[in-house]
Amino acid sequence: MLLKTKQLSKSFGGLKAMNKVDFELPKNEIRGIIGPNGSGKSTFFNLVSGIYDTDPGSYIEFDGHDITNAPAHKIAEYGLSRTFQLLRLYQDMTVLNNVMSGYHTRIPYRFFDAVVGRKKIWDQEKIIKEEMMDLLSFVGLADYAELNASELSGGQRRLLVLARAIAMKPKLLMLDEPAAGLSPVNVDNLMKIIMQLKDKYGLTLIIIEHILKVVMDTCNTVTVFDHGQKIAEGSPQQVKDDNAVIEAYLGKKMNDEEMRKALAV
Amino acid sequence: MDKFKQIIADYPFIAFIIAFGILALLPPFVLTDVYQSHLASLIFVNIIVAAGLNIVKGYCGQVTVGHVGLFAVGSYTAGTLFLYMGMGFWVTLPIAIIVTAFFGVAMGIPSFRLEGPYLALATLGGGEAIRLFIENGNFFRSTFGISDIPAPSLFGYNFDTPDRYYFISMTIMIIAVYFSFSILRSGVGRAFMSIREDPICAAAAGINVKKYKILAFILSAMFAGAAGAVYAHLPPGYIHPNNYTVIEMVTFLAMVVLGGLGHIWGGIIGAIVITIVYDLTRPLYKYQLLIFGLTIIFTILFMPKGIGGFIDRYFITKRFKAKTGAEKNVT
Repeated sequence: MLLKTKQLSKSFGGLKAMNKVDFELPKNEIRGIIGPNGSGKSTFFNLVSGIYDTDPGSYIEFDGHDITNAPAHKIAEYGLSRTFQLLRLYQDMTVLNNVMSGYHTRIPYRFFDAVVGRKKIWDQEKIIKEEMMDLLSFVGLADYAELNASELSGGQRRLLVLARAIAMKPKLLMLDEPAAGLSPVNVDNLMKIIMQLKDKYGLTLIIIEHILKVVMDTCNTVTVFDHGQKIAEGSPQQVKDDNAVIEAYLGKKMNDEEMRKALAV
Repeated sequence: MDKFKQIIADYPFIAFIIAFGILALLPPFVLTDVYQSHLASLIFVNIIVAAGLNIVKGYCGQVTVGHVGLFAVGSYTAGTLFLYMGMGFWVTLPIAIIVTAFFGVAMGIPSFRLEGPYLALATLGGGEAIRLFIENGNFFRSTFGISDIPAPSLFGYNFDTPDRYYFISMTIMIIAVYFSFSILRSGVGRAFMSIREDPICAAAAGINVKKYKILAFILSAMFAGAAGAVYAHLPPGYIHPNNYTVIEMVTFLAMVVLGGLGHIWGGIIGAIVITIVYDLTRPLYKYQLLIFGLTIIFTILFMPKGIGGFIDRYFITKRFKAKTGAEKNVT
């Protein structure tokens, strides 16, 4: 198992945002996570990637390391990369610097070498820069490398965030609504790029997405959250027909008598 | 020409040696009297401070208003070491840098919890506390100041006049700027920038936010300490608590903002411009602070990345147009 959680819980005051979730993810899988707003999808990401601390009793394991309550940068060093729903682009940095900052965990030289400006730093930097330019051309942003990230369009920003997350060559990539706000054509294009990157880097993916077509078409397995609990898990087809899932999204299915009662009021 | 550019890109220190050579040959042509040599040394001191401030403020985004306190620590470490132990410049300089680094840690710890204006208030308190501590302690000669701090000598040659001291301040400035250049161009500079832009995302990308924040404070404190020591030994070698007030801090901030926050040459450009303007407007001393305040405000409003960013912008837009065709206009 690449990622494993046991009894994962998190409460904010009285609200149980995540309630005893057991989650297992094998290597090379594409896992979709769906659920209504406020069901705990993003909380799950934040807990796993170390942005939030978990409640006592929780356990998270990633690639053989116990990462329960480990600091976020440590988890990233183990090879877990993620994107954010609100993108969190480095607005005032150039596109190239955005991607290069994603390379941080792989930088081979030590800090002291950088202070005294040894030649090998500039050689390494040149290699990093070339590699990152390749990545930018792959997602189609090479021409924009020198511009500030704030000058990109919405679709380009999504691509940049993706490239930045890939730059660290992660084992597991967690995408928080990668296609939110994109037009259908752009969604297809983005998903194509994501799949190409998956093959190229041998990634395991977790995707939170509200566009069900994306989830149903690309994911091997789908996990459904509601009210901080895992209510269903299985292949896209299984999940689609699951009563609990339908209930969570559309409300309870009523029989004739219940319907009559409800309307009589 | 291209080959030369390639060599500079591979060995950036060559550019700094060339700059050193030019600056070493300059005095007979440009600095016609003693006062101008003195002013040149002041510019170099300001460049060192501003380059350091650019690391913590411009790159790492931590709003510190106590930097002048660190500058004072550097000066007074050098001053007191001379006063009580008779130490010379070559000993006081490294000690001042180390001592100031420790004060930098103390100044940086609040940044774990505070940001923006709150951090500014905390560091302002720190900086002023240092000044008041000096001003009210007999150990530091309180308001008399420490005088007659000797200029350094090397192999029997005394750098005891402003036109000779020029070479000391200039050499240290070149070394300091080289270090700041190396730090900011490498992955460390990128880590600083990521923290400035979004600490949460930086942490998720594998950057140890606390470590790099404190690192930024330590590095910039070391610059301030070096500048303080150079300033203390500057002939006639007199330091007084009044040289380290908030007004000086505003001047340092104005340098970094005008030169370009987060631009690699920002602090340097700003230090040169502001020090010269400051000197030329001495007859209007009543309005100087007003002018600097307005400079900061107008720069932030109309040129948020300062002079350095403005120049960069021009070339980037030009290159982008050349690459993608002129009809596509950016911004």
